[in-house]
Amino acid sequence: MRNLDPRRARWIRIRMGLLCGLMALGLGGVVNGAYRIEVEDGDAWYDLAERQRQRRLHITPKRGTIYDRNGAPLAESVEVPSVSVDAVEMLRGVDEQYVPMRIQQYAERIAQALSLPAEDVVEKLSRRRRFAWLKRRVSEQEVERVRALGDRTQRYPVRGLVIEGEGRRFYPNRELAGPLLGFVATDGEGKEGIELSLEHELRGNASEVRGLRDRSGRLIFSEGIEDEQALAGHNVHLTIDKGIQFTAERELEAAMKTYEAIGGSIVVVNPENGEVLAMASSPGFNPNDYSQSDPGSRRNRCVVDRFEPGSTVKMFAIASALAAKSVAPSATIYCEEGNMAIDNVVIHDTHVHKWLTLPQILSQSSNIGTAKIALGLGEQRLYEGLRRFGFGDLTGVPLPGESVGVLRPRGRPWVQVETASAAFGQGISVTTLQLAMAAAAIANRGRLLEPILIKRITDGTGVTLSEPSPRVRRDAVPSSIARMVSEMLVAVTEGDGTGVEAAIPGFRVAGKTGTAQKIDPATGKYTDTHYVASFVGFVPAERPRLAIAVVLDEPLGGTYGGGSVAAPVFRRIGEMALRYLGVTPRGSVPMKLSEVAEQSGEDIAANTYQVLSEARAAAAPISTGVVTPSAPLKTGELRVPDLTGLPQREAVRSAATLGLDPSVEGTGRLTRQEPPPGTVLPKGSPLKLIFEPPT
Amino acid sequence: MSWSDRLGARGDAPKNRHIGPSEQDKSAQGAVAAVAEAFWKGRSSPSGPVDALLAAVVTALIGFGVVMVYSASAVEATVRYKDAQFFLKRQAIYAVLSIATMWITSRIDHRRLKVLTYPVLIVVTGMLVACVAGLGHKAGNAYRWIALGPVHVQPAEVAKLGIVLWLAYSLSKKADRIRSFSVGFLPHLLVVGILMLLCLKQPDFGSAVVLLFLTFTLLFVAGARVPYIAAFSMLLALAGAALVRFSGYRYARYLAWIDMDNNRADLAYQPFQSVMSFGSGGLFGLGLGRGLQVLYLPEAHTDFVSAIVGEELGFVGIVGLCAAYLVIVSRGVKIALEADDDYGSFMAFGIATLFGVQAMTNLAVAMAILPTKGLTLPFLSYGGSSLLVNAAAAGILLSISRSRTPVASQLRGAAGASPVPNAPSASAVVVASAEEGGAW
Repeated sequence: MRNLDPRRARWIRIRMGLLCGLMALGLGGVVNGAYRIEVEDGDAWYDLAERQRQRRLHITPKRGTIYDRNGAPLAESVEVPSVSVDAVEMLRGVDEQYVPMRIQQYAERIAQALSLPAEDVVEKLSRRRRFAWLKRRVSEQEVERVRALGDRTQRYPVRGLVIEGEGRRFYPNRELAGPLLGFVATDGEGKEGIELSLEHELRGNASEVRGLRDRSGRLIFSEGIEDEQALAGHNVHLTIDKGIQFTAERELEAAMKTYEAIGGSIVVVNPENGEVLAMASSPGFNPNDYSQSDPGSRRNRCVVDRFEPGSTVKMFAIASALAAKSVAPSATIYCEEGNMAIDNVVIHDTHVHKWLTLPQILSQSSNIGTAKIALGLGEQRLYEGLRRFGFGDLTGVPLPGESVGVLRPRGRPWVQVETASAAFGQGISVTTLQLAMAAAAIANRGRLLEPILIKRITDGTGVTLSEPSPRVRRDAVPSSIARMVSEMLVAVTEGDGTGVEAAIPGFRVAGKTGTAQKIDPATGKYTDTHYVASFVGFVPAERPRLAIAVVLDEPLGGTYGGGSVAAPVFRRIGEMALRYLGVTPRGSVPMKLSEVAEQSGEDIAANTYQVLSEARAAAAPISTGVVTPSAPLKTGELRVPDLTGLPQREAVRSAATLGLDPSVEGTGRLTRQEPPPGTVLPKGSPLKLIFEPPT
Repeated sequence: MSWSDRLGARGDAPKNRHIGPSEQDKSAQGAVAAVAEAFWKGRSSPSGPVDALLAAVVTALIGFGVVMVYSASAVEATVRYKDAQFFLKRQAIYAVLSIATMWITSRIDHRRLKVLTYPVLIVVTGMLVACVAGLGHKAGNAYRWIALGPVHVQPAEVAKLGIVLWLAYSLSKKADRIRSFSVGFLPHLLVVGILMLLCLKQPDFGSAVVLLFLTFTLLFVAGARVPYIAAFSMLLALAGAALVRFSGYRYARYLAWIDMDNNRADLAYQPFQSVMSFGSGGLFGLGLGRGLQVLYLPEAHTDFVSAIVGEELGFVGIVGLCAAYLVIVSRGVKIALEADDDYGSFMAFGIATLFGVQAMTNLAVAMAILPTKGLTLPFLSYGGSSLLVNAAAAGILLSISRSRTPVASQLRGAAGASPVPNAPSASAVVVASAEEGGAW
């Protein structure tokens, strides 16, 4: 500033200095503000921001699928579009005085497009939130209409409308295994059954997708397309076999109708490894419309309900006595001709017997004989013996609300009469699953296994995360005793045994009937009108593949005994399941199912065949008509179907549904398959499909 | 246009440019030619070297701005244009252009700019009028842009530099008469008043305030009487308060800002999200490109880019950013103190203030210390006009820095400036650009 008077220049500099001081203060203020916000309150703001991102996650990642043991889906999630609105965006740029008018206009158009009452929409828009659901789960047409409303190329587009996919649970088999699977509520939370107990695995980790959604809730991927599968919930593969489950439910339903029972449950397990093949509970419900069902019907009776088992317990009491050597295998017991007084209580047998061997006690279901054996064994050892079979303990099955059952209802050791009645299953309570597992223990050389319901858990990309292996809980009885009891139990289904109805042609069936009196809640005493009928057993007796427990609650109308009500159910399920698993009848060459039907001449076999094909049809809907009844297959094997003539997509789908690994050559219709139709292959084998265009 | 010329005439315009209103249309072309001639025939270029530190910091900030704009805009660009680099590409082009602009302006002797004073002022006023008259391009709620072919110019940005140029010119010309009310004070206030009104009409409250602040600053520096400034400041503060109170949307915004917690979902959404972005950064930030608030913060790449800096680079990053602006402003003030003539000195101080005030206001708004204004962060925010104008302003600063006299002998301790104008600074930034500085 040489052109200025030095004094003026000096003043100018001083004034500049003053202003600089002011600006320095401002800078200090800014840095101080930054320090306060970022360093002092930083964590609080971070949490708030984190919560905002969490809160904005309206859609949880895709819920995992539940499969049966062969990969047929039992519960899957499909994306269903939902419509939400960002009212701030919608009304941006609208002059304040016109806002009510605009809201009215927009609301009317939206209401029309979504078939909603206009007042509701007005109310939602008037709140002027950045996010509000307008309608969840909308139809295709509604989506189209909303798209048209928001189309910017149109004359008056409505801004701020957001269509996004929302997961909806779908149960393709409707009622099948409903109480076992449970259901998922509107908010995406599993409420009962597997859906509840494996909620954590199925839901997927929502926090993994934080920050990937923007302020309108849209999914945003910063780097192109990321694999959304990685965010999805885990898939659960159950040990349940859809076919056996189908049969079990069908038979249970039929029995429920015939005997007008108020409830029923069936558990089918593989005694070799404890895998639960079917778990049916009736009445059931359709988890697709769970809200329309009676809450009582959503209960999985197999694990939640406990009941007095009745005579089925005799096999465990006798097995315990044999193991403790308090009774010899060859012993004969005097059965007091039908009446025996213990203390001041008289116990009865349904039929009058004098001397009975152990197999006879079981096959005639003698209460007195069993009571005598129990008294010989003693209270403590009987109690421990039953505990060893898993009664009074959780089985460890991953299902919610499992009952332990009660062995000592009064919380003290039994008195003599209680010991006696506990041995024939009165005064104690168990669950159907406990019964099935205990019977499986006898079938499995005395080894009590933990039930396995989850075969495998895989993540969205197919990587196996966990795969439970069979776990032995304990040796309930020595292997030799178990074998001995198995043989005794075969007598039940033979000759004049109480369980002849359970006999399956071509197989030796070991089992035990049970008919327990129920306590009348009004009087607290046993009634003569209400019973629990059951049959528990396994087949084939010499090398058991199936252990089945059938329980029917309060069958009415003359027949209430386990032998006449529950045993036929056992037979039908066993018959079908053995066929289904490809177990060959003893001493017979493999024969075709149709021949079985012919030979037996009964409609049972025909029934079974029908059930089988229905179940197969349900398992592989596409391949209906190509499944031909033929030689039984071993587990894990299948027969290559004839898919000739099918279009590519369908052929690949049916092959994949059956468990084959299809590869494709050419286009058009299927002309050739390698290996050819009819070949028996292990599951997962490659199948080459050759297509040629139609000429 | 005519009123502007008349104002210029009253402000002692050169004789050859004194054009009567009646002759104006006829001689418009002649005037343009005269301006061009005067511009190119100006004094010879000064020989001194430019302020290398200033050049380096500005260049570094522009480069950093490109990075931050990318980080802040990638999501929005993907959603809106299906191209994550949409804003990045444009900002990179603007950055190259603006560095070139800075280089060119730094080569021009700042005294030659005197002849551009009125053309710039007139063009700016014309563009602002055009904006208000509805020729502008509407974005959001405001007509702040004017479309010149494919480019959208924001006249308010140009107006800020224009007013600095004009004030420096006018104040240096009036010299001691600045102390009088009618010659020194009122004309300046009238001109800026018109520009402010045009800004307010757009509406652009922030730019109007900045224009006023610049005017008072330069009037004060040039020696206008403090009572006038104080009285008018108070008067205008009242007027401003009334304007806010009786303008529906401004008052609503103000109330929302006061009571941010209850309005975080609607009116105070933006400031609230901005503070949240700042706060989530903590001491060291989430890391460049890792900010998640871009998903929630509207305008993250323009007015609120500082919030993203705060989130991604944390308090440390903000302090660094403040330090960069401190260097720019203090170098600007130093140039003002050492400038050869009072014109250059005023201009330098005005430009330094422009940078400082805009940066501070923007940061304060982003931290919700001040209510939302709509001011950009110089050199960082996305936007061609803002970047080019600020780069031109920085270029002018550099040009002035080449004709300076060491101030230490004249004024001790006022600025603590180094007696050697091109003394290399110890700042790390300079090392890279030391050679570059030679080219300036």
